[in-house]
Amino acid sequence: MSRPTSEEPAVSHPPVPFDPEIEPALAQIVQPDAPPFTPETIPAMRQSMAAMFPPAAEVVGDAPVDVVERTVPGPEGAPDLEITILSPRDLAGPVPGLYNIHGGGMMVGHRNMDVSRLVALVLELGVVAVNVEYRLAPEHPHPAPVEDCYAGLKWMVEHADELGVDPDRVVVMGGSAGGGLSAGVALLARDRGGPALAGQLLLCPMIDDTNTTIASRQYSGLGTWTREANLAGWRSLLGDAVGTDEVSPYAAPSRATDLSGLPPAFIEVGSAEPFRDEDTEYALRIWATGGQAELHVWSGAFHGFDMYVPEWHVSRIAIETRNSWLRRVLGLVGR
Amino acid sequence: MSAGQHRPVPYDPELEPGLAAFLDLVERIPLRADTILANRAHFATIIPPVEQIVGDRPVTVEDRAVPGPPGAPDVVVTVVRPREGVSAAPAFYSIHGGGMVLGNRYFGIDGLIDDVLRFGAVGVTVEYRLAPEHPAPAAVEDCYAGLVWLAEHADELGVDRDRVVVTGASAGGGLSAGVALLARDRGGPAIAGQGLICPMLDDRNVSVSTRQYDGLGAWDRNNNDTAWNAILGPLRGTDEVSPYAAPARMADLSGLPPAFIDVGAAEIFRDEATEYALRIWATGGQAELHVWAGGYHGFTGFSPGAEVSRAAAAARLSWLRRILRSP
Repeated sequence: MSRPTSEEPAVSHPPVPFDPEIEPALAQIVQPDAPPFTPETIPAMRQSMAAMFPPAAEVVGDAPVDVVERTVPGPEGAPDLEITILSPRDLAGPVPGLYNIHGGGMMVGHRNMDVSRLVALVLELGVVAVNVEYRLAPEHPHPAPVEDCYAGLKWMVEHADELGVDPDRVVVMGGSAGGGLSAGVALLARDRGGPALAGQLLLCPMIDDTNTTIASRQYSGLGTWTREANLAGWRSLLGDAVGTDEVSPYAAPSRATDLSGLPPAFIEVGSAEPFRDEDTEYALRIWATGGQAELHVWSGAFHGFDMYVPEWHVSRIAIETRNSWLRRVLGLVGR
Repeated sequence: MSAGQHRPVPYDPELEPGLAAFLDLVERIPLRADTILANRAHFATIIPPVEQIVGDRPVTVEDRAVPGPPGAPDVVVTVVRPREGVSAAPAFYSIHGGGMVLGNRYFGIDGLIDDVLRFGAVGVTVEYRLAPEHPAPAAVEDCYAGLVWLAEHADELGVDRDRVVVTGASAGGGLSAGVALLARDRGGPAIAGQGLICPMLDDRNVSVSTRQYDGLGAWDRNNNDTAWNAILGPLRGTDEVSPYAAPARMADLSGLPPAFIDVGAAEIFRDEATEYALRIWATGGQAELHVWAGGYHGFTGFSPGAEVSRAAAAARLSWLRRILRSP
């Protein structure tokens, strides 16, 4: 695929339009006076985001889901990790497991962001979900986030019995930065000989630090995750190495030269967002090796559409489609 | 090049019985230059009479001979309508598959009838001339002529001319894309959307997926070679190939109606379909792309009960509802 040079002006790349049904929501989501992501503004952004997402027990409410908050060992020499375990009440086990990694551009975000998505999956599929908190950049640059996520996955699989999880049916999943970290964890698991994964569910994953695709240029200053936010995220994670050949494929999975031997991938992205092309190319490259991937690019959808506009019919069919794939890779067809 | 260098994406195990049935029924005779006519004769035997396909579903089915392209014979279309009649209805302009060398307008009409009833729509399915007797651009010009007739007779047919979707699978997907390009470039009929199901878009046969399914699966590399040779003759693979015959050849994919592109991950057209979507998006155009894990060419038709096929059917209906502004 030919890529424009970095000198090419953004004006030559008219964006794919947002679906008219969700465009009005953008005005509520994107604050016109929001400050850019900088090391100075990031702490306050984390705090205001944290306030938006209540703890898991509160989100679960009366739903028949058990919630356990605990810590597990982090990578060697690093602090413990906070995790939340969400299990179907009266679990007879063993059932498939989902290992979830939240988004936030590697700079912000908290695992509580994803609780409602996970509770819905626990109820729909009868699975156990483990939701991990990882260290954030720029205070903790690469490889801290992906190593934390890998350590949490290892803990989950090693404690599968205790969790009521079938260790052969674990899918790693996440959105945005969490999708990129999920892809990175899948690469680490392949290259370190474990744990075995049944799949990687990558929702609008952030996987390419080069910011050279057409999609990455079409959404400059536009949408829920702009080119500028993305550049800030990658710079936070990678520092001066961003965009150079020094970047690790575990940080930016698009950098991996070999995408063979990975667990089945589910890749979902909007057609109207900066990750559209890198995510599509990731699928193309997996298929080229004979690997399994399913790709869905939803028309006119902006980054994170199902989180921001869950009532939109595209959000609903996108979630149904994810659930269909999860049933297929987890041996739950018919459930 | 040996197939070993291009390890194929495996099939979804739930789809394998359907694939075997497809190969046994549809591809009994390998499609080569000297077997096209034998294949066409066999193909005709597996499409039941239209009365049988309709069964007791409440639709009317009417054949019309409509003007063909300039200097060419009339084109026959079959118009399918709900029996109770419609007005200002959406329309599906349906183009059948068969590599542009096989098939007739009743191939796929079963699903068209379902859509007509589901959406209270008018369905029009077109009989176009086949290669090699009629090389490009006969097929795409016939299809375009039928669409022009539909648009010009929208009132009489009870069709809302702003809600016409052009759609087809395989060769019919490629022809739908070609018709959308012609309509753009000739200032022709408005098209609300182009539904491209496992579309046949690129005569060059150079993508990885065309090499992964060489001697393997439904509509393999050799079938595709045979068909493109028949369609394009000595022009094939040269810069003389018309982009209306092989839409992947079109340099400019801007200004097209919204596209829905759907293909299996385990089939020959996977890469060309995906690239087509990428190139539409690059222009700022709208496209929805679904590539289904382990899907063979045409998997929804021969494995309709499989989990992945049901998900694919739901996604297609979702897009149609959005494009047609239909609840």
